[in-house]
Amino acid sequence: MSNGSRRDASADSLKRVNKRVVSSRNSLSQRVNIPVLIAVVGLMAYGTLIIWTASLSIPEAQFSRHLLGIGLGAVLGILCWRTDFRGLQNMTTVLLVIDIMVIFSPYIPGLSYNAKGMTGWIQIPGIGLTFQPVELAKIITAFFIAGLGAQYNGKIDSVRDYVKLCAMLAIPFGAVLAAGDLGSGLVIFVGGAIVISMSGARREWVLSTIAILIGLVSLLLAADSVVDSLVGRDVLIKQYQMNRLLVFIDPTADTSGAGYNLMQSLIAVGSGGFFGKGIGGATQAAEGFLPEAHTDFVFALMSEEFGFVGALLLLGLYALLIFSAIRIAYKSDSLFLKLTVVGIVGMWTFQIFENIGMCIGLMPITGIPLPFISFGSSSMLMQSAMVGIVQSVWRHRSKAA
Amino acid sequence: MDAQLVVVVAGVILVVAIIGSLFFLRGYSGRFTFDTRNGTQPRASEGEGNTPGVAMKGRFKMLTMGVGAVFAAVVAKLWSMQMVSSDHYEELSQQNQMRTVTTPAPRGRILDRNGVELVTNRPSLVVGAYRDFASDPIKVRHLANVLGMPYTAVRRSILDYSQSAQSLHTVASDVRMSTVAHIKEHATDFDGVQIEERTERVYPYGTLASHVLGYTGTITGEQLNAQDDSKDAAGAVRYQSGDIVGQAGVEIYYERLLQGIRGEQTVHVDAAGNVTGKAGAIPPRAGSDIKLTLDLAIQQACEEGLARAMAMGKQTGYTSDAGACVCIDCTNGDILGMASAPTFDPSVFIGGVSNDDWSKLNGETSGNPLLNRCISGQYMSASTIKPLAALAALEYGVYTSGQTTTCNGWWTGLGEGAGRWCWDHGGHGTLNLQQGISHSCDPVFYDIGKGFYYDEDHPEGLQEVYKRWGLGEPTGIDLPSEAAGRVPTAEWKKEFFSSWPDADRAWGPGDMLNIAIGQGDILVTPLQMATVYAGLAENGKEFTPHVFLSAVARDGDGDAVAHQPEELRSVDVRDQSDLDLVHGGMKGVIYDTASTASHFNSLGVTVAGKSGTGEKADDDLYAWFIAYAPADDPKYVVATLVERGGFGSTSALVGTRYVLGAIYGSHDSVSAAGGTHDR
Repeated sequence: MSNGSRRDASADSLKRVNKRVVSSRNSLSQRVNIPVLIAVVGLMAYGTLIIWTASLSIPEAQFSRHLLGIGLGAVLGILCWRTDFRGLQNMTTVLLVIDIMVIFSPYIPGLSYNAKGMTGWIQIPGIGLTFQPVELAKIITAFFIAGLGAQYNGKIDSVRDYVKLCAMLAIPFGAVLAAGDLGSGLVIFVGGAIVISMSGARREWVLSTIAILIGLVSLLLAADSVVDSLVGRDVLIKQYQMNRLLVFIDPTADTSGAGYNLMQSLIAVGSGGFFGKGIGGATQAAEGFLPEAHTDFVFALMSEEFGFVGALLLLGLYALLIFSAIRIAYKSDSLFLKLTVVGIVGMWTFQIFENIGMCIGLMPITGIPLPFISFGSSSMLMQSAMVGIVQSVWRHRSKAA
Repeated sequence: MDAQLVVVVAGVILVVAIIGSLFFLRGYSGRFTFDTRNGTQPRASEGEGNTPGVAMKGRFKMLTMGVGAVFAAVVAKLWSMQMVSSDHYEELSQQNQMRTVTTPAPRGRILDRNGVELVTNRPSLVVGAYRDFASDPIKVRHLANVLGMPYTAVRRSILDYSQSAQSLHTVASDVRMSTVAHIKEHATDFDGVQIEERTERVYPYGTLASHVLGYTGTITGEQLNAQDDSKDAAGAVRYQSGDIVGQAGVEIYYERLLQGIRGEQTVHVDAAGNVTGKAGAIPPRAGSDIKLTLDLAIQQACEEGLARAMAMGKQTGYTSDAGACVCIDCTNGDILGMASAPTFDPSVFIGGVSNDDWSKLNGETSGNPLLNRCISGQYMSASTIKPLAALAALEYGVYTSGQTTTCNGWWTGLGEGAGRWCWDHGGHGTLNLQQGISHSCDPVFYDIGKGFYYDEDHPEGLQEVYKRWGLGEPTGIDLPSEAAGRVPTAEWKKEFFSSWPDADRAWGPGDMLNIAIGQGDILVTPLQMATVYAGLAENGKEFTPHVFLSAVARDGDGDAVAHQPEELRSVDVRDQSDLDLVHGGMKGVIYDTASTASHFNSLGVTVAGKSGTGEKADDDLYAWFIAYAPADDPKYVVATLVERGGFGSTSALVGTRYVLGAIYGSHDSVSAAGGTHDR
């Protein structure tokens, strides 16, 4: 072998490698995470089918509005995908301010929209679109807490820093609670808590915090009735929330109100069986026994129509989405983006678990939508944006880009 | 108390958690520490060294596992619900959609023994509405205006939660045809309103036999609970709230026959309760018609006779405000007529009795019109007891058929200090036992009472014979709330007056004299006495009095159930000659006294009987007259009682005579009050 030929060969191979690198860098799979895309497209298609079947019997489930939500969501997702979010890392203060403003925006006169007794909605002046700002707050909080967590470079050394992080998370969480949305508050809290523990908090600290929280919550639950009777009105926990908790423990205890909802949901899911009752055969949902069958209890509707098989398909799509997202986070070079995706993953996981769990009696009832499936454009837009963010992280995963 | 305990426990848990956390956290609070055991290792806080990278990999592993665990939990729960328990939930979902709606069935009619309707049903046009209708106040107001009812009343009826949501809720009954036509013409305005034909009780003869027939009403809460408690659910009618059930008389006693069986319609409903489809239906089955032993003509005669007897009592200066008259067939116990005064109109109970009506029927001054005095009224028997006293005396040899008593109006058998008047202060002269019955001579029976009092073998032989004939216990008639009456004994007196000093409640000769002539503490019902006289007429054989003759089969003409005459008791009498003596004495009651005979001579059949006049301290006399006819082959027994009606042979006689006159078709020709004070 001659030196030249070796040089030739190495030059050839280098050229080949370079070519491959260039082509792969520009290939679709380099810019878009295919599994996440498949999962999201699958979920949206599945959700469209479910909402279409719901629209057959539930007049509120307007199929066209659902499609509009998907369309707008796709646009927003693509915008997010094309954006490099790394710049947000050093803007935590700004993020916090925006977050608080967004959370309390329903209380701003001129923006608030209180139709049908709902709170937590705003109506964007001029175009008349209604929107649930807490959905946006989830994303902002993910960025905010990831930005804070990334400062410690993967290891939080002092308890003071840990407590500071926890306190920072408590701000948006408390704000959402104050705005009266326990369900979304919990989503934000769980997502943020996972970000904090992924930022390098010691396991012992996390466990201690969990113990304290459990103690606090149990004290709150126990003291609720006592405090209520002392003050003379419903102060700590609202009565309907307490009822939901009680019926979660025993669904048959209350056959009206919260217990009725839970029981009907259990019946809908259980009676679905293996293959389900098919489209139009879902008596629980179609005849109105199942409340909120197109929004909060959409999983029960889906389970009744498509049975265990349908539920497994849905869970499979979610699993594909979440595990792919975890992989994206793992592959990303930027700690900030890693943590952001981790926060999104945490929120998705908790929201899916909470929503499905309440339909099947694993979790108490709270009013949060099932991502990508529930009827409602605010959720759809923001979930699409989250997917866009995850895809953007994939696109900007290497330091160089 | 409980809640506070829980708070304390939760507080303790929290404190423990905080202390534990502080303990943990303190150990890691230093930024730079030197681990002397494992050597010092700089704890890097900058740069991406090896350790953080490995740590990050571990954390991602944890995160992946956590997410996996969540999915596993959801899948496991779904498996158990959709694969394992799917049948259970499927059943629940079916139940969700099925409701059973019932339609009321008409009650059976009540007929007299010849098939004449005493109680029947009449169709009534009912306007009903389904519960949804109440959700539109404008429509409800419109309906209220059309019906001429207050808005709130209409609304309340529609929202009546005692009926199932899918049932038609009755808003108004007996609606005029024109109103019905209006509603039908404007069907679109009255979506959810339905016109139904229902049945309501009708009493063609008004107050006739109201005490026997009773009345109906909406089932009470207690009655509903009672059926839930009772175990014999099989075959029995299941009631639901709002059902019309018997509340008194035959209506309640034969409720099980009269009540129809509700029709059932299974419907599919949606969550709002709207009917989306119908499934199987069972048509309602009407209740059985019942034939009573009452004979319309005799019942009317009993009521008219009682009214005349009371009028006669009033005419002779007595209060005469209440009474009873019963006619029974002594050969089988059939009640042919049963009247009680004052009476009531059972139709006021249709559709719920109003408060005004109810207080009118139950108030202090009402005179208890709801009380059936034939079976629930308890009175001293007065001299009508004397035939039984005579039988007792003959049986125990206290007084023989040949024995005589000389009555000079003042009896001193127990000494001058304990002397007693005969009702006829002029005295009857010397009488034997049979004449004693005929003239109702008290001294004869004082001698009997005295004889029993001093009879060491049978000191209570008199009461024993009374009881043997059925006094002191209910006859067992098939009507509710029959009274038992009372036969006083030494033991009873001691217990009844337990608050008295011993000396006063000891059984004395005076007590015995009283019960021998039917005064004092003895209590009987008119029906008991009629039954006793039926037994006397039948030589000791008593049949259980009853009003039920047969139940007409639901389909066809035959009788589904017919009453079989039931022998209540066959009373032992020492000898037929004793009964003959009594029969003779009772015939003498009618024919030996001219004034009484004058009433009965025109009848055409021989009658035997006994009058009675009860004396109550500070009260008017209670008039009795019991008779059976024909005397030689008895069939009819008629007992009349007039409360505060004066002398039995004056007022009560009129009632008994009138009933017999109606039966034999020859009414009393002697109209004037005879002025006889025969007892």
